Amino acid sequence: MKAKEPKKRKEKKKAEMPVPEADLDNYMEPGPEAAQTLEAEKSPPGRTGLRASLDFKARGEPFVWIMGGALALGVLMIIGFLALVLWNGIVTFYPGPVEVVTLKNGQRIAGEPFRSESFRPSDEQLKGVDPESRRAIREADGFASRTLYRIGNFDIYNEDFKWAVAHQVARTETPPGIFFVERREWGPFIGFIKTLTLDGRRIPGEKVSLDALYAAHDEAVDRREAVREIEVDEIGAINYYIEEDRLALRRTELDYGKNSAEYRTEKEKFERQTKERRAGFAVLKKRISAINQEDEKYKITLTEIGGREKRLRLSEIVRLYPANNLSLFGKIGVYFSRWGEFLTDDPREANTEGGVLPAIFGTVMMTLLMVVFVAPFGVVTALYLREYAKQGTLVSIVRICVNNLAGVPSIVYGVFGLGFFAYTIGIRIDQLFYPEKLPNPTFGTGGLLWASLTLALLTVPVVIVATEEALAAVPRSMREGSLACGASKWQTIRNIVLPQAMPGIMTGLILAMARGAGEVAPLMLVGVVKLAPELPFDSFFPFLHPERSFMHLGFHVYDVGFQSRNSEAGKPMVFVTTLLLITIIAFMNAFAIMVRNRLRRKFVEGQF
Amino acid sequence: MNESRVSDAEDKESRKPGRIRDLRARQSVRIIDKLATKVITIGGLFVILAVLGIMAFLVAVALPLFAGETITGSGVFRVAAPRSALLSVEVDDYNTIAVLVSKNGVLTPVHASTGKPLRPLKLDFGGTPASAFGRTLKGGNVAFGFPDGTVRFGKIVFRTQVLPAERVPKGLTKIDERDFTDGKVVYSRIPGDQMRKIWVEAEVKEPQEVAPQGTPIVKLAYKVGGTPERPSISFATVDAGGVARLSLTETKVNLLTGQTTSSVESVVLPDLPPGTRIVDILLTEKADKVYIGVEKGFLLRYDTRNFDAITLVEKRDLLPMDEKLTVFKALIGEESIVVGGSKGYAGIFFQARRPGAATSDGLVMVRGHELERHAASVSGFSASQRSRMFATMDSGGNVWLRHATSESTLLRFKVKEMANGPGRLIRLSPRDDAIVATDEKGVVNFWKFEAEHPETTFQTLFGKVWYEGYPKPEYTWQSSSGDDAFEEKISLIPLIFGTIKGTVYSLIFAIPIAVLGAIFTSEFIGPQVRSVVKPAMEMMASLPSVVLGFVAALILAPIVETWIAAILLTFMLIPFLLLLSAYLWQVMPPRVSLPLSGFPKLGLVFFVIILGSLLGYLIGPGFERLLFGGDFKAWANGNIGIATPMLFIIFYPASFILVAFLAERFLGYEWRQKLRRMAHSRGALFELLRWGGMLVAAGLLSWVAAVTLTALGLDARGGVIDTYVQRNALVVGFAMGFAVIPIIYTIAEDALNSVPSHLRAASLACGATPWQTALWVILPTAASGIFAAVMIGMGRAVGETMIVVMAAGNTPVLDWNIFSGLRALSANIAVELPEAVKDGTLYRVLFLAALVLFAMTFVVNTIAEVVRLRFRKRAAQL
Repeated sequence: MKAKEPKKRKEKKKAEMPVPEADLDNYMEPGPEAAQTLEAEKSPPGRTGLRASLDFKARGEPFVWIMGGALALGVLMIIGFLALVLWNGIVTFYPGPVEVVTLKNGQRIAGEPFRSESFRPSDEQLKGVDPESRRAIREADGFASRTLYRIGNFDIYNEDFKWAVAHQVARTETPPGIFFVERREWGPFIGFIKTLTLDGRRIPGEKVSLDALYAAHDEAVDRREAVREIEVDEIGAINYYIEEDRLALRRTELDYGKNSAEYRTEKEKFERQTKERRAGFAVLKKRISAINQEDEKYKITLTEIGGREKRLRLSEIVRLYPANNLSLFGKIGVYFSRWGEFLTDDPREANTEGGVLPAIFGTVMMTLLMVVFVAPFGVVTALYLREYAKQGTLVSIVRICVNNLAGVPSIVYGVFGLGFFAYTIGIRIDQLFYPEKLPNPTFGTGGLLWASLTLALLTVPVVIVATEEALAAVPRSMREGSLACGASKWQTIRNIVLPQAMPGIMTGLILAMARGAGEVAPLMLVGVVKLAPELPFDSFFPFLHPERSFMHLGFHVYDVGFQSRNSEAGKPMVFVTTLLLITIIAFMNAFAIMVRNRLRRKFVEGQF
Repeated sequence: MNESRVSDAEDKESRKPGRIRDLRARQSVRIIDKLATKVITIGGLFVILAVLGIMAFLVAVALPLFAGETITGSGVFRVAAPRSALLSVEVDDYNTIAVLVSKNGVLTPVHASTGKPLRPLKLDFGGTPASAFGRTLKGGNVAFGFPDGTVRFGKIVFRTQVLPAERVPKGLTKIDERDFTDGKVVYSRIPGDQMRKIWVEAEVKEPQEVAPQGTPIVKLAYKVGGTPERPSISFATVDAGGVARLSLTETKVNLLTGQTTSSVESVVLPDLPPGTRIVDILLTEKADKVYIGVEKGFLLRYDTRNFDAITLVEKRDLLPMDEKLTVFKALIGEESIVVGGSKGYAGIFFQARRPGAATSDGLVMVRGHELERHAASVSGFSASQRSRMFATMDSGGNVWLRHATSESTLLRFKVKEMANGPGRLIRLSPRDDAIVATDEKGVVNFWKFEAEHPETTFQTLFGKVWYEGYPKPEYTWQSSSGDDAFEEKISLIPLIFGTIKGTVYSLIFAIPIAVLGAIFTSEFIGPQVRSVVKPAMEMMASLPSVVLGFVAALILAPIVETWIAAILLTFMLIPFLLLLSAYLWQVMPPRVSLPLSGFPKLGLVFFVIILGSLLGYLIGPGFERLLFGGDFKAWANGNIGIATPMLFIIFYPASFILVAFLAERFLGYEWRQKLRRMAHSRGALFELLRWGGMLVAAGLLSWVAAVTLTALGLDARGGVIDTYVQRNALVVGFAMGFAVIPIIYTIAEDALNSVPSHLRAASLACGATPWQTALWVILPTAASGIFAAVMIGMGRAVGETMIVVMAAGNTPVLDWNIFSGLRALSANIAVELPEAVKDGTLYRVLFLAALVLFAMTFVVNTIAEVVRLRFRKRAAQL
């Protein structure tokens, strides 16, 4: 019917013979390109007599608005999403006040207000509500508002959060002496200091000076770090070498048999060495217990709002601050100290607290390793397809396939990586090179190497497509010029084509990195773990351990958000991790654009 | 600069007389060139092959699922004939020893694969040969019934021990390559330079009286449940008089002396006419059900949960009219009963909850599987101890290995050298890898086979299967359970459906926004706006999907749940407000509106959308109260309210289109002719009125339709709108929109942009408006490109994993309800593969799922790619 329309109109027009007129008021709105011409047209005065017909259908204003609405909705979605992540990520570490809420039934809650929302109370929840509030709720279409308080003290209350419904609150106050204490275990403690024991001297809470407390706490933290260093580094090293010896012994057993002379000498050696090494333990343990004894003299007794007490060593505290009489600078200090902890520390409390250093490390290592694999192979393939292969049906089919593979779901690559790399190649490697560790797999399970190879496979189509496009963009004349000067094909490629195509290749690579860094699904199958016991990089030869499993920021988000005890408690952590991940990826993308622009400029200048 | 130096050098050289320039390339250059060619060619081909190899690998892993079972060995031999008839034949875990149990208590162990006899054992039956035999499926617990009405419990167990090779005693007789014996114990060589020692031990306890003195026991079912410390022993007997009894044994341990005393309590099962010819009696491990199979071809089901008040719950015919019942045995888990008939019938029955059941507990026995018939009467049976495999034998000596769930006959054997007649027994080995058949004369047939994945057939993976306890055949995915007795449900259909459901809902949301947004960007805004908007949309593409999933599941889902009515309202308000502002905008004289058509107009669009959302938030609760009884979730669950309002909303867009079409068809031309003569603003006002009128008319039409259909009994709930779950397809569609919109948008915008600008210019120059140009010139040209964009977006949605894992709830349902969850192929792989045992059935099925996913996206992407290439070629030609 629409197709018929113009014809019909034409016929009728012919019959009426309308005089073409152009009145500016009735001028149909042109596109932006036409805007300038319109300005120009305005000036000749002789044309005001012309009048265009007033046809709203041709203008299609409602449709244009709907399309604009679609675009705006899309943009608003992104802005909203980014704002949500940014806001939550940035605000999370800022110390809030600690409010003490007294409910109408006399119950008292002390906690950091976490978030507020309006909700629809169920009939049961409305039962004990006084009629006045009930009327207010009814007037608000059944909605009431409530605030979630982070009450901490999980070891006492058995819950981290508590809702305070607005109509049940009698009063809210912010007492000055209340402390927010972040502990290494059991999450935060919110309450007052009752006594502080420094070097065996007991000081009542009201006489505790903050400076002395902080100084003592810093010392306690140093002690804790010292103990940790001994435990992880020195004892860890001893354990590592004992394990190495044991594996060497097992290897001899496998090679020569248990009855051989080699085995017996090796066994003797092993026992002697282990004994020596074990002796080292005792020394270290003594040192640890000395520090711990010192540590025992510095204790703090805290009381929560209901009066129950908790006594703990100062070294068990990560950070403490008087939440309600903190100056702006104090707050900023706490804020940055939390960021510092987040970026440089290990996770605690099932990943919901502490830092994400191992995850950052794992993400970066994996991405770099992936680039090492993907760059040569991707570029070589593109070179082959564009420069060496005969352009024909076969190559175009291959090209479609490669393009296609960029769209294959990442989880499929994960399945392949697990089945092929870990379970086929890895198990073979284990049998050949690590028989002494069996049945514990070395390469026969997910790990850093397999994860990077899987992601390399996943991103290689991206690099191939980008490189091919870059190669195709190099003018034919340059190639021909080089060849005509007597350069060989490879010389031409190396000296003329590749430098020209470099910006495009770099962009492709960095985009591949950005994609690789954000991918989680395949990693869940090939080596990412919730908590890696060892970093894939350490001080023991050969330093890089590509067979180890690792942590990843993206998986951290999934794990803390979905697998933890209380997803509410993990949420701040998830938001901050998300922010970090998005920032890393955004930086990579920005870097890609920058490199591209810079190289392009460089080569534009170099052109003749 | 480089060049000039080269040319200088050349000049110098050429000037020198007598020196001829060597034009040959240096050897090294040539070698490097050749090497580079080789390396690049090999490397390139390698990567292409590697990438294509993914598919081949997935196929290679998934293929064994469909591979048939293979026979790996067989043997026939004759052992010294036992002096009395056989009760049972038993095999150990490693198919090393087979034991023939005869009625007089003699156990004859033989080496299973060669028939070499081992030293016999004798159970003390006190001189009377046994008349009935019962055994538990696992654990080697046996029970014997005697002609004097007593029952003896016992054990026939295979003991295993692994020794280092050097501790094996000297002087063993060699049986075959692997096995040695000292007459009683068999030693098998196993990898790692070790020996496995296997021997038989048997014992029997004191008799316990069950039936009145002198009534022989003819059938016996024996179960041991509870824990090893406190076993609960139950057994059911049938005596020669046709009386069936259920007996419980209570074992008490005297704490002081450590002595155990056990007492037996027996109850006679009611409603069993005397003289009924009972084929077999079955008992569950918890002793809460007893089944009796009667020769005439029916079963009796007893509810024995209350030991003091046992009731006959159901009587069910099992066989075709003229057939007699010959085999009546339970599979692992004691829920499924295999029934064999005298003319070869084989079927499986289990109880299921069905509406309208006439029984007191609401359950009825149903025929879940009807299996391939034997040619002759079914005479022998043996169930697997670890799966739903079982073997049946007919009187013609055909032994068939079958699988219950897949209803398939896996392997067929034919006995050799055996005499015809009754007394032939078969036994499926504990590890499902061998069958032993014997007859009274001591002929033993032994077959070894491999049955890796008997439960997977095309039917079980992609078809409807009637699972144990289900009221009807269904597509179900339920793969994991720690219990062997659990029937694995591995239909991929719910997963494929989940993938499609998620894709469809995300595309319904994403396509309009992405495509319309792309058209607007390419045709209606200036380059300076586009240079801001386009990268912003593209940035969304690089958001990690795990982040989208997290926000969708933990932030969005609870908000949507609380504000669902307001959100629905907002989705209606926004288009309405946009149209309203478009008509109002028209009213503005072009002198005013024209200069504002760039950024300010776009800003106004933004403002309208925000206003729409705000209005939705403010009047959402009122809207909910008005139309959905104040609680949308309860309304969707079907608890409150009527369907008319929702039907009205659903019909509204269709009614509006109908009204608009009719108005255009019958009034459009005249209307435009009238407007043509008016001043601009007046005309625009009339246009606004016309639109308002159409809205009202469409509303009336839609309301009438809704009321009529409600009166006719149509309910909006029950299809696309049904019970509300927090993590649902709506949330998934919305979150996946974030992932899909940028892809469709970018590619579609590129396609629109690559329409040659001379076409656009020509159209505009001919006097077409931008809208007409976009609709009639640009869109048709770029249509294939936009199609490709949608297909690529679809490919992404199909494969998206993290969003679905986190936000979809992962329930494998098969309905289109937008408010219920889904379980997609990708999510299922991500959740289950890490726990799947390598090379197990689940592992391979998940690889098959990956292959299906791969194939789905490959098809979609290839279509997209081919269309896109064609579009490119055409665009280049224009």
